Amino acid sequence: MTNFHYIGKEASRPDGPDKAAGKALYIQDLQRPGMLYGKIKFSDFPHARIKHIDTSKAERLTGVRAVITAFNTPEIRLGFMRDNFALKKDKVRQYRDEIVAVAAIDPEIAAEATELIKVEYEPLPGLFSPHEAMKEGAPLVHETDPQGNSRTDNLVPLQFHHESGDLEAGKRAAKHVVEGTFTTPMVQQCCMGTAGCIAELDMNSNLTIWAKTQIPFLAQRDFNRALSDMGLAGKNARVIVPTLGGSFGSGLDTHCYEYIAILLAFRTGYPVKIVYTRAEEFANLSPRQSSTTKIIQGCDQNGKLTFRHVEVLQDNGAYTSWGATYPSVMMMPATSLYRISNVYFNAQLVYTNNTYCQAMRGYGNPEFTWALESNMDKLAEEARIDPFDFRMLNSNKPNETTPMGLKISTCGLKECLETVAQKLNWKKRHKKGKHRGKGLASLIHVGGGARIYRSDASGLILKLDDFGNVNVYHGGVEMGQGLHSVLTLAVAEALGVSSEKVLINPTDTGTCPWDVGTHASRGAFMACNAAILAANKLRDKIFGLAEVFYPQEVEKNLKKLKKKNPNYKPPDFDVIKAARRENFELQDGFIFIKDGPQESWLRLELARLLRAIHFRNQGQMLTTEVFYDPPNELPDFKKGFGNISATYAFGTQGAEVEVDTETGEVKILKMVAAHDVGKVLNPQALKGQMYGALAQGIGYAFYEELLSQQGKILNPNFRDYKIPRVYEMDFPIELEFIESNDRFGPFGAKGVAEPGLVPTAPAIANAIYDAIGVRIHDLPITPDKVLAALKKLK
Amino acid sequence: MKKEISFTLNGSEVSVTIDEHLCLIDVLRGPLGQTGTNEGCREGECGACTVIVDGRAVNSCLYPALEVEGKNVTTIEGLQEPNQKLSIIQQAFVDHGAIQCGFCTPGMIMSAKALLDTNQNPTEDEIRDVLLGNLCRCTGYVQIVEAVKQAVVQLKNKK
Amino acid sequence: MKRFNYYKPRSLDEAWELKEKIPDALFIAGGTDILVGIKNGELYPPSLISLRSIPELNSIKINGGAYIGALTTISDLIHHPALYDIYPVLVEAAKRLGSVQIRNVATIGGNLCNCSPCADMALPLLVLDAKVRLQTAKKSREIPIDEFFKGPGETNLTPNEILTGIILESPRKSAKAIFLKKGRVKMDLATASLAALLEMEGEKCLKARLAAGSAAPVPLRLFKVEAQLEGATITDKLVAEAQQLAAESVSPITDIRATKEYRRQIVSVLVKRALKNILGWSQA
Repeated sequence: MTNFHYIGKEASRPDGPDKAAGKALYIQDLQRPGMLYGKIKFSDFPHARIKHIDTSKAERLTGVRAVITAFNTPEIRLGFMRDNFALKKDKVRQYRDEIVAVAAIDPEIAAEATELIKVEYEPLPGLFSPHEAMKEGAPLVHETDPQGNSRTDNLVPLQFHHESGDLEAGKRAAKHVVEGTFTTPMVQQCCMGTAGCIAELDMNSNLTIWAKTQIPFLAQRDFNRALSDMGLAGKNARVIVPTLGGSFGSGLDTHCYEYIAILLAFRTGYPVKIVYTRAEEFANLSPRQSSTTKIIQGCDQNGKLTFRHVEVLQDNGAYTSWGATYPSVMMMPATSLYRISNVYFNAQLVYTNNTYCQAMRGYGNPEFTWALESNMDKLAEEARIDPFDFRMLNSNKPNETTPMGLKISTCGLKECLETVAQKLNWKKRHKKGKHRGKGLASLIHVGGGARIYRSDASGLILKLDDFGNVNVYHGGVEMGQGLHSVLTLAVAEALGVSSEKVLINPTDTGTCPWDVGTHASRGAFMACNAAILAANKLRDKIFGLAEVFYPQEVEKNLKKLKKKNPNYKPPDFDVIKAARRENFELQDGFIFIKDGPQESWLRLELARLLRAIHFRNQGQMLTTEVFYDPPNELPDFKKGFGNISATYAFGTQGAEVEVDTETGEVKILKMVAAHDVGKVLNPQALKGQMYGALAQGIGYAFYEELLSQQGKILNPNFRDYKIPRVYEMDFPIELEFIESNDRFGPFGAKGVAEPGLVPTAPAIANAIYDAIGVRIHDLPITPDKVLAALKKLK
Repeated sequence: MKKEISFTLNGSEVSVTIDEHLCLIDVLRGPLGQTGTNEGCREGECGACTVIVDGRAVNSCLYPALEVEGKNVTTIEGLQEPNQKLSIIQQAFVDHGAIQCGFCTPGMIMSAKALLDTNQNPTEDEIRDVLLGNLCRCTGYVQIVEAVKQAVVQLKNKK
Repeated sequence: MKRFNYYKPRSLDEAWELKEKIPDALFIAGGTDILVGIKNGELYPPSLISLRSIPELNSIKINGGAYIGALTTISDLIHHPALYDIYPVLVEAAKRLGSVQIRNVATIGGNLCNCSPCADMALPLLVLDAKVRLQTAKKSREIPIDEFFKGPGETNLTPNEILTGIILESPRKSAKAIFLKKGRVKMDLATASLAALLEMEGEKCLKARLAAGSAAPVPLRLFKVEAQLEGATITDKLVAEAQQLAAESVSPITDIRATKEYRRQIVSVLVKRALKNILGWSQA
């Protein structure tokens, strides 16, 4: 299919008008009859034993309907390592630990009630860095593991390890070797719509929860387990996803506040809503994982990479969530960005009393690529090779398998590099302007799903109705990225109907088939591949039934036409003979015979056909379902091997900067981003994803940092946690999309949600180095770091 | 203490009795049921709550409800035209991919509207200046600025 | 407790009466600082007395000099037909305060009374030798604005006093001024800021006024730098000395926004850039 009706053409999002009119309903807007408001009391210490909780005053406050603690509710554990608790009982391990929760008739009363709660603590010494926590004799953040066995240290029992080739031989073959240690901070997702949910149990004790989640089905599993913990084994959680005010990874795990809402709903018998304030969002929701990466790379005298040695240390915080699995993603660029044999990768995670971290767009890739691409420039300089030439020399190629076992199908990396170099005028980069520089950096990311669970599948149902509408049920989550837009277009394209007839239903575990979650840039890849399969199945059904019903309906058309126009002479065409399933086509909602006469009476509205099939004895309604499971593997992360994705996205970004050497401020003069996207499905949505990701990459590069001191977040607000505003994106940005037309991708497309912010920070850092000879190793690149580095140079 | 306030909302007179300490956003989203205006920070930083009071864009999260007495308030709900038609600015946002999650969108549109109601020929810098108080995490702002520019052209053509 | 009573007196007398009755009440203007403080639990007044409905506080009179009512919004300052021509530095600073939404309700009086070390409106008023009028029911006094700021969040106001207006002298034609502000991003509290004014006669400096923000407990006049420049012929060497003196005059702190060393450095750079800009010299 190369002449697409919808794919690759400009189309605005179907949910755009409602959002523009202020009609979209976010969790903040939803109400249920009798709904109560929940509010949580968080810990006053980063590490302490809970000695006593006095809730008496809160309970007596007018309007309060319930006050719960770990002492009057069943224990609910959460997290994939089961090391977290919905409400804390014996001790608190971080400032944001949930100790008490209140349900009241309005949010203000609930908040007042939490202020009336008195907790007595016995403070314990706190650990605020992995180094502190790894010291001999350091206090334990968790004294026992989830099974009750004693722990002896603060190391998180997760292994991420990879060794391939012969590292020693690689080192010997290296003429030039460069090492460096790079750090990245905690960064907040900063969704404009804060986290929240409404939990409601019916009188059969089945739960409905409207949740700000990206994993409705995994959440269902987690909540079903919680119901079981509450003595409601066998009861079911139905997870409904409302319009989301962004997510960026924050919805990839279940959160304590969700279980607390469920417990409050159970206790009170009423729906309970909990919505985080912005301060709670910053301080009490899990941010992007921080990292420390030590990297050593070597190349031979020609510039070919000979080995790569990587060690990652992560501050796991008090409990374990997806931040702990960033190394599983880091392994991908570590083993597979640029052609490299002889790779060593190891990651260590340590419990501390800092906040625990979660997924955020890129999920370890921006963190690691920061280190890798900075180090690549250092190595290029050491080897006296131009950074662009160095990367071209080592570039990945199509149809190769990497040390991790990633099977690269299409690979547009060389084209991306060339595009960026050309648009940045790379050859002439030292011609004008002092304190000006150019830099670039590339990326590899999963582009065809990511099997990090046993299943990476995605189901889809298409239900046709009597009006030719295609009702779509899909478990993927629209969080603003445009999943529902591309799904609409993919169904329309693959089925052959108008996109206006494609109606996407809300994501609801009660109605949609299973999907593992919208993460790893897999949304469009999964949904659209499933849509194509389902549409083809449906076309088969339609065309099979059309053999009987098409002739009889077009006969009616012809009769009508002859009545109106008695002189009409139909062409010499045997409709019944032509009416074979392989001869039909469906386009724009009309069925016709391929290569048949162009007469209007031979074009039958799909809706007409469907009604004919429906309204008769033994009538039928047409629905199909598929469960699409992509051709990828669940890697063994202890061995660091497995083809995690069906295809891989590549890209390169370049920056031109100017440094004010008196103030340390860095101004971006121009950015270029060339991405191998497989195929552009929806131009404005793709551009939106890229611009948005670039903005996050720029924030990551220059000023985003959650400041934490002794476990306390110091800047839980937009006044002191800065994200880009309209002026910070006021410079020329050139986007170029390389279409490598991947055979695994829907219409050739790869997943593109995350790549846009992966190489941004190192591209900028490399440009700064080019401008002033200063290399910053620790994000964010703030003006005072630049000044301090300049001073050191002198 | 509860007090009654009366003001004009999207062209209609409204009256509500409210607690004195509330801000305009609470009145709009609560008793008046206008949930199009969103609360993003409650500190005047994100602009998601932007509405127009007597022709000026303000953060409704920091606008004391009692101060709106007798004033003319326009919210996102007031822009839409009869028969399910979007206003020019709203349609421009839809056309240009300026909307992703949509949470910042009403505030962005109201900021743009306050500008275009008084300035039919804004420079790009003037457009950026009025959007400075509106945060967006999804779009990177590029298509938002393009949408406002398109709205400028279309509003001029309308005249 | 985040509840409070909200009063809207229609006259200054009514306002003072209310304050007399409720000593713990706070006067509120635009509210962009106070309401955030209440939300964050830093302030917990039982009542707020809004000054927004008192007409005499919200006017600008140009009469050679200018009288600016304390409740003049930042936007009204910017859009006033005459103010920019007479005191461009005041309007330039106003444009850098917050966002349009903030400027439409925030007031010049409120900005001064909030008394932040980086108050954007303080710096131009300091270099313009402004006076502030402070009134109670019984007494009215005017003091130079540099005496108004006592410490972070602490002004010269006595408990029932209201800052009612700002008085500006008629400006000298030969005076040129500039306002510079640095932040982590464009819309920010100043990491460091500077207003500077020079009145030159040829190459000789007749009058110099400099004020730095985020560089001391209060918006700070750099008296020593002014004294060094006044009466002198300004040269590159003198500018460098002025920079050094400025760096020594300020006492910034390290907080989550910046370190004191960095602030000191920026003040020094801003002094150079401000002076060169006013004098029309190249910044190279």
